Parts: sequence; C-alpha cells; structure tokens
Amino acid sequence: MEKIDKEKREKAIDLLRSKSDSKLITHLNSCVRCGLCAGSCMYYITMKEAKYIPAKKIDLVSSIYRRYCTLAGKTVPALVNAKDLDESMAEEMIDSLYGSCTMCGRCVKHCSIGVDIPYIVKKGREMLATMDMVPKTLQATVDAAINTGNNMGIPTVEFVDTIKWMEEELIDEMQDDKARIPLDEIDKDIFYTLNPREPKFFPLSISAMAKVLYAAEASWTLSSKYYDVTNYGFFNANMAEATQIAKNLYDEIHKLRGKRLILGECGHGSRANRWDGPNYLKKAYDFDTITAVELIGGYIRDGKIKLDKSLNKELYTIHDPCNLVRNGGMLEELRFVVKSSVANFIEMNPFGNDNFCCGGGGGALAMSEYNDRRLKIGEIKADQIRKTGAKVVITPCHNCVDQLLQLNHTYKLGVQIKTISEVVADALIIIKTN
Amino acid sequence: MATFEVEGKVFEVDGDGFLTDPNIWNDDVAKLFAKSDGIEELTDKHWAIVRIIRSNFEEKGNAPMIRTICQETGLKLREIYELFPLGPARGACKVAGLPKPDGCV
Repeated sequence: MEKIDKEKREKAIDLLRSKSDSKLITHLNSCVRCGLCAGSCMYYITMKEAKYIPAKKIDLVSSIYRRYCTLAGKTVPALVNAKDLDESMAEEMIDSLYGSCTMCGRCVKHCSIGVDIPYIVKKGREMLATMDMVPKTLQATVDAAINTGNNMGIPTVEFVDTIKWMEEELIDEMQDDKARIPLDEIDKDIFYTLNPREPKFFPLSISAMAKVLYAAEASWTLSSKYYDVTNYGFFNANMAEATQIAKNLYDEIHKLRGKRLILGECGHGSRANRWDGPNYLKKAYDFDTITAVELIGGYIRDGKIKLDKSLNKELYTIHDPCNLVRNGGMLEELRFVVKSSVANFIEMNPFGNDNFCCGGGGGALAMSEYNDRRLKIGEIKADQIRKTGAKVVITPCHNCVDQLLQLNHTYKLGVQIKTISEVVADALIIIKTN
Repeated sequence: MATFEVEGKVFEVDGDGFLTDPNIWNDDVAKLFAKSDGIEELTDKHWAIVRIIRSNFEEKGNAPMIRTICQETGLKLREIYELFPLGPARGACKVAGLPKPDGCV
C-alpha cells in the first residue's frame, strides 16, 4: 500500500473544506440512500456488489467530509459514519472512483433528488490526484499531452507527414487541387481539432471530415502543434494539468487567429473544452466553440452540403456518447444529422439521454488496470447493439469508437463502427463549381 | 500483475493483455498472441506489419504511425484493418509485443 504524504493529504482534505463551493457541500450532504442509482449503473447491473452502487462510491468522499468538516464527525466519527483519509481509504477511493465509474452521469438522471454524482466522483479523483495517486496508465496519457502537445506523443513531423498523405489521397479522389487539408493557416473561419488516435492509427475520419469541409467550401485549418481535442486532465482531475492542456489549445487558436473552435468527434474533449475550459482558465472564450456534429448539422440546414441518403443503405443505429448527449445537449442535433445521411435507422433501447455509456468513458479506456471490468460492463452495450439488428453503429466520439470496436470483437457482433463524419462523407453529393 | 496463458505457456501482461516485458518477444510469442485474438495463421502481410512495428519500437521506443506501416509494407489502410480486426494498436501492436500505446486506444 502506498504511503500518503501528510502535507498532500491535508491539501486533499482542504478541497472539501472550501466554503465557497456551495454545490459541493450541497451534493455531499444530500443523498437520501433511496438506492435508485443502483439500477442505473453499468457496474452495479453487471457485478451486483454493493460497492458498485453510485451512492456507495460517493459516500467515500462524503464520509471524509464528515470526518474533517463537521462537528459530529470530528468528535464522534463512528456514530455518523465519518472516516479517516488513510491508506486503505485511498485504495478504496482509487478502485471505486477511477476504477468503477465512467462518469457517464446516467445515475444523475435516475437520482430521486438529482445529486450530481460524477461531480463528487471528480472531486474524489481531484483529492487522489493531489496525493499523486492517479492510476499510472491514465497519468501517462496526461503526461504525453503536457510534454508533447498531444496525448499519444506524436512528433510534429510525423503528424504533418500523415496529414499531407491524407491530403494527396483526397485531392486524388476529388480530382481537385482545392480538396486540401490546410495546416497552420491564419485567419480561417474554422480551427479544427482531432483525437490523436486519428492521425496515429485511424486517419480515414480525418479525410472524411476534410471531404465534408471541402464540399461546404469551408475556410479552415488544423494546427500542426496543438490539434488535440482531448483533455485527460478532465479525467485524472489534476486541475493544474487540465488547465495547462486547455490553455495550449486556447493560445494556439489565438496564434492562428481562428474564428471558431470546432471540437472534433470526442465526447469528453467537447465537454472539457466547451464547458470546463473557460472555468479552468477563468475567462470567457472570445471565439465560438461548437462540436463537429453541430457544424455538420448547420451545413445540412443551410444547404451548404447535399446528401443522398440512399448511398447509406444498411440499417444504422446511434450510440450516444455521454458527454455529448446526456451531458452535452446534442440529442436532437445528432439525430438530425444521422437521419439526413442514412436511409434506414433504428434507435437502441434505451436511447438518447437514457442510453448506456459505451463502458470506456471516464478515462477507463486508457486505464489497463481495469480492462476486465470495462469489457464486462460493455456487455450491456453489446446486447443493446445486437437487439437493434443494425449493421452499422454511428458514434461521434473516438473513445466510444475504440470501446465499441473491442466489444464488436469480444462479443462477436459483426457490425461496423463509424464516426459521424464518415457516415456524412459517404452520403455526400459533390457538386463541382469549376 | 496479470498473466495470460495460451497453449500451456504463461506470459506476464498488463490489464489490456499487452506483454509486460517487450524483450521476451519472439516470433512464437507473436503467433500465440495472434491466435488468441482469432488470427489462426500469420500471413506474409501480417508479418510485414509486425516487423515494421517491431523495428520502429526498437529504434524509437514507440509504435509507428499507420502512415509508416502503409509506406513500408505497401499495404492499403483498409487491408491493415482487415488483417488486424482489433486495429493497429490493440491488434497489431499487441502481437508485436509492444506496451499499450497511451490515449483512446
């Protein structure tokens, strides 16, 4: 068991002592233990052990709060279930808050009084991060982003090489020198962002998006240095690191004088940049921030791109990324784009705001330590997909894509997994203007 | 530390099933790991991918870009995804005995 540094432990407890965060204090004290959250959580549904009930997970944090921040907890801790923040408590927190929660927020929708459970989970993670207790693999992903500018440590020259390659292919396919993938261009309307797994291993989604932007005659650019839409600081909950990663992107947009930040297909990255970014940096962003889904939706509505649904004939379904739909308000817009692009569509059950997580959220995909659990809880998603009878699953999040690829293999679903830009690009009618 | 047993041989692996010590990797290990992922036999194309991943790792300490794999092997992107259904990271890099790459893979 790892020994806790006393000074760091005090700093971790200080996070709960803050009187200025009224939301935190309210939500730490509100749970009525009705148990409704249990049946909403993939971990509890799969494992059926009490420690996986969302209320139990956040009670770890609440019990520390009671121990150090309330009179009863300070004087008669046993009577009020107040607990010391010691090594065994820290171990339990790591397992429950990093290892057994994807922060999907489905429990919040089912909570009888609306406790923001992932908010408390995140506060617990912040305490662990303060004590240097972030799971190694998750920390490695954050370190790569801090040290290299992207979470996979891709050297700039190799990134540029990949983009040039995708550009050549696109020019070839479109038979038009204007079908470009611009890099580091100044004063463009769109500053586009990617998940590093695209250039590293799955670049077809880059050329798909480039094709959509070409068809819409968009003014856009990628940065060759800070193009990473992810912010794993959102997951390890080290606020200084989350702020640094958000700042790198913020500064780069200003450097290239981009008008709009378009968040590539990434659930947590969209949330971390759009909603949390301004809070990390403590200032309102002076540029518009929207997701790729909304950008494409706008193009369809404004007639900037034309789609032929009959080009996507198979039966399609949507996997809703938690941070874009339940926690991001993208329910209708995502369906508008999908229904404009495919001929046959079926919802999974449940769908939309009540959909299940892919099982790989909350940084779970990066944490090898909990791989078994991730694949186990993913069976719920695999069953949902199988029951639709769909041949293609669409999801506008690369993290979800990777988890679904693994579920497809593990549970032999025999489906294809596609991003939204890939599906839209397949339905595009290209009208040559020259 | 997790272990992974295949055909009577036991390997130390991380939670995702990637080899803990890349130095103990050899062709036989590659065959066994591939088999456990449903690839019964490694073809010349599979080996070409595995070799380039391996040499990049030995030279630079990480997995190559998919660009490099295509360039060096002459294979098309879609072929690589077909040859390794789990993708270049969880599929090919694992068979090549690399540690799991960071990020959303």
